[in-house]
Amino acid sequence: MKKLLIVEDEEALCLLYKEELSREGYDVTTVHDTEQALEMLGRESFDLIVTDIRMPGRDGVELITEIMGLRKDIPIIINTAYQSYREDFMTWAADAYVVKSSSLDELKSKIKELLS
Amino acid sequence: MLLSIISQSFFQPFSIEDNLLVILTALTSGSGVGFNRAMLFRTSGEVLKGELWLGPKSAEEANSIWEVLSTPGIGYVEIIEHNRALLSRQADSLSKRLKPLVYSLDREPLSIPALAAAKREVVWVKDARSEPSVDKTFLDVVGVDEWLCVPLFSGEEVLGEVVLDNAITRRPIEHKDVKLASLCGLMAGNYMYATMLHKKLVDMERMAALGEMAMFVIHQLRNPLAAIGGFTDQLVNFPNDEVRTRRNLDIIREEIKRLEDVLFKLTPFLKMDMRKPISFELPPVVQAVLQGPNIQAKRESIPIEVEIEDRLPEILGDPTYVGEALRNLLDNALEATEKGGRVSVRAGRQEKKWVILCIQDTGKGLPESVKDKLFDPFFSTKDRGMGVGLFYVKRVMDAYGGRIEVESELGKGTLFRLFFRSREEKGENP
Repeated sequence: MKKLLIVEDEEALCLLYKEELSREGYDVTTVHDTEQALEMLGRESFDLIVTDIRMPGRDGVELITEIMGLRKDIPIIINTAYQSYREDFMTWAADAYVVKSSSLDELKSKIKELLS
Repeated sequence: MLLSIISQSFFQPFSIEDNLLVILTALTSGSGVGFNRAMLFRTSGEVLKGELWLGPKSAEEANSIWEVLSTPGIGYVEIIEHNRALLSRQADSLSKRLKPLVYSLDREPLSIPALAAAKREVVWVKDARSEPSVDKTFLDVVGVDEWLCVPLFSGEEVLGEVVLDNAITRRPIEHKDVKLASLCGLMAGNYMYATMLHKKLVDMERMAALGEMAMFVIHQLRNPLAAIGGFTDQLVNFPNDEVRTRRNLDIIREEIKRLEDVLFKLTPFLKMDMRKPISFELPPVVQAVLQGPNIQAKRESIPIEVEIEDRLPEILGDPTYVGEALRNLLDNALEATEKGGRVSVRAGRQEKKWVILCIQDTGKGLPESVKDKLFDPFFSTKDRGMGVGLFYVKRVMDAYGGRIEVESELGKGTLFRLFFRSREEKGENP
């Protein structure tokens, strides 16, 4: 079973992603911020990371930088409410950029694509 | 006198139109350069357009105007008022004749008056009727043979032109008049340019702030929408799972409330337009805020001590905004304070100039790292804060010449001091 790490500070969205992606057949772990994500990455291995950008404390861009520093080759999907970060070149290091919307279809298909 | 009036005008909070009017006045007042009439053209794109024409229509009118303007000790404000009145009286005469005049600045051959502005040089016309480059319509409007065209510019930027004449006294223009008028033109040109740049800058800042805000609002709306959409899809996909249905409906309700909350909190912030300050008493505003339902409810668990000095002078500002600012600060203070803690509101005066309102709590205090960002828009220490509260407070204080200070220690509490300008300081009260 492929393991996903979801970094999202919104409680309700964490619940939604966990339920919906588990139903798609993934093993889903959710954390609320960059610190928790790095701690989790140090402890376990994951097949894919989905992260928000604007979060309290260190943001998603810093998380991506840290992960690159760890030289772990894990695909990363940025999942955010902001379209504008697409222009931020640090986000180019991510493998996909999904703007949050009322449908999860795009996020689901990007995950499937990157794990195939 | 003349130059001091002009340079004064640059530092006054009047509009550019008022200030240009002062410059025209300086050029036409008896104690200034002493021209009889001054007309102002301003550039708009590549054309020069007639805008204002200041001067008496007849010798009788001239005498009464010059008398007023040569009153000893007459100041900037009086001149502005006098000229506003004069212009509104002659709205149907001089300026009306000038307004239809429009001249191209880049189409050859250049005619007078456009020549001076286009070449950025003073043009002295001594015998208009024998000067072929004078525009005939202009000659008819001016009705005299001698005048002076002074360009208004700064560097390469042409901003307008002033045309001066002595239609009433028929006194010939002298070299020293030309020199002084040129100097005035230079000052006025640079002043207009600086005003234009300033306006551009303010517009740019406003746009940047607007962009930042739009970004923030989009984020605030998209998160709840993503949750509402996702949980609604689940309702459709699992119509028979009652427990899940109940839970999802609760989440959806909660997220909708959040959307409303975003709109509710943004409204006062968006519609804030700063009116002229009025002077008012602070204590009734403080009392009204303390009686507000929101504060009343929280007061039951955390007491608010109130201490207001007797006979405080009135303060300058807008009572509605000041009340809203105080409510924001009290809300924060009550939220930061645990049961058993205290919030206090004190008001007193400091010297003659200030009335100070302090809001202090014994709450958790602010970490050093957030103090710098505290008043930035969209910065919040709360999980679901919008970051508009303290920004709003600061805007209210700045708008009326006041200021806000904060002192805070982790674990001990926070103190906000609001400095309001007192009315006495402005000398409106004995």
